[in-house]
Amino acid sequence: MTSFYWERHPDGPFATLIAVATTYLHPENYDIDALKRLVKRQDVQEIQVFKSELREALIDPSRLPGDELSESVEYDDGSDEAFLRRLWHDLYGDESPEATGAPPA
Amino acid sequence: MSARDSLEMETRETRDIPAPDVPREQTPAEIPEQPLRGRVLDDPNSRAEASAESRQRVDGDWKPRRFEPPRAELARFAPERAGLPATSVDSAAQYVAEHRDSRPWLAVADTASPEGRRVLAAMDSGDGHGHIRHEGWVTEEANRRRVACREDPAQLDPEKRSLGVDAVRQNGGPHRCGSTASRIADPDAFVTAFARGVEHPKVREALNMPFDPDLAPRAVKVPIADLLDPEGHRYCTGWRLQPVDGSMNAARKNRDSWNAARAEGRKPDVPEPKASPVRTFEGGVITFMFSRNEIEKRYEVATMYPEPLPGVHPKMTSSEFPRGEV
Repeated sequence: MTSFYWERHPDGPFATLIAVATTYLHPENYDIDALKRLVKRQDVQEIQVFKSELREALIDPSRLPGDELSESVEYDDGSDEAFLRRLWHDLYGDESPEATGAPPA
Repeated sequence: MSARDSLEMETRETRDIPAPDVPREQTPAEIPEQPLRGRVLDDPNSRAEASAESRQRVDGDWKPRRFEPPRAELARFAPERAGLPATSVDSAAQYVAEHRDSRPWLAVADTASPEGRRVLAAMDSGDGHGHIRHEGWVTEEANRRRVACREDPAQLDPEKRSLGVDAVRQNGGPHRCGSTASRIADPDAFVTAFARGVEHPKVREALNMPFDPDLAPRAVKVPIADLLDPEGHRYCTGWRLQPVDGSMNAARKNRDSWNAARAEGRKPDVPEPKASPVRTFEGGVITFMFSRNEIEKRYEVATMYPEPLPGVHPKMTSSEFPRGEV
């Protein structure tokens, strides 16, 4: 594509998840430590949306749009599901992704 | 005047930026001159280099060509616009002379225009690594090995390079690479793409984003044709990982397993990753990625690299087609 998924579909499903993951985890500019710091910020609305979308994607990876996540992030995990599980664990440890309750505003 | 206002006032030594790992390989200028035929036949490295370049010429439809630099435009480029120190033609020449031994990618400055050399020196004095991994000093074989084996062309220690140790990240760690390793093969074409890219509205928006120590601007893609001349894609080459069982996801995972085994001294139990030349970059983009400069409290271009259009698969001989690949 000549543009990113989140530019083509700014309101598309999982646009924030794919944008944030690409920004911090693409192999050409990988910085998981920066993302770990960012997810602790309660004042960044985008990161709250990111966590919510990551949780939704983990619960049902089939809802992700085609190959957009893997083609954008270019992870080495082999599948969207494996990547998402690793990412959740790296960022949120043992917290259950299936925890109920609305994401923080 | 700030500390980054001129290269005369602030060299790499004074900024205490670590030099790449040593020992390093010989630069081309240090290799004793000998007939090409002898070098190719006797030296496995030279054979590999010659093979990769030959494959790129045939399968990637590429041949070396000189880019005609827009010298007046490059002379007007203000490195400060990219968060880089102001640099004159003279200070750039001095910078290259001072640092070429420890930073061999600067050798390409010899073939660039004086104005292009100025931009290259300014880039090298910043923290970005685009010119180290995606400019023409990276050979075809180095790019092939980068995408197939995750060997970092910026890693000057051969042992660390073969083990996949990253040379740019502060704490080393494994080098990472996506499905493609690419370059803009001419130094003037590379710096022209950078200088024009920095003024592109999408890139400016990213660089001008209010600084937050935890946030990074999203990456930006700009068509190659917008940054170079209409034939700009012809200055780009790349290698793409071959799919495994028809899947690029599986190919990257396979490569990860293969590299992990090598790094741990085990015999890999997965097939050796393979790569093929990208057939064409026509219609492709230059991707810009950004990083935080926490000292200056602003954003910089972390890297830039050409990407082919999706679906532009490498040309492969029938024996190279992976199982399941259509």
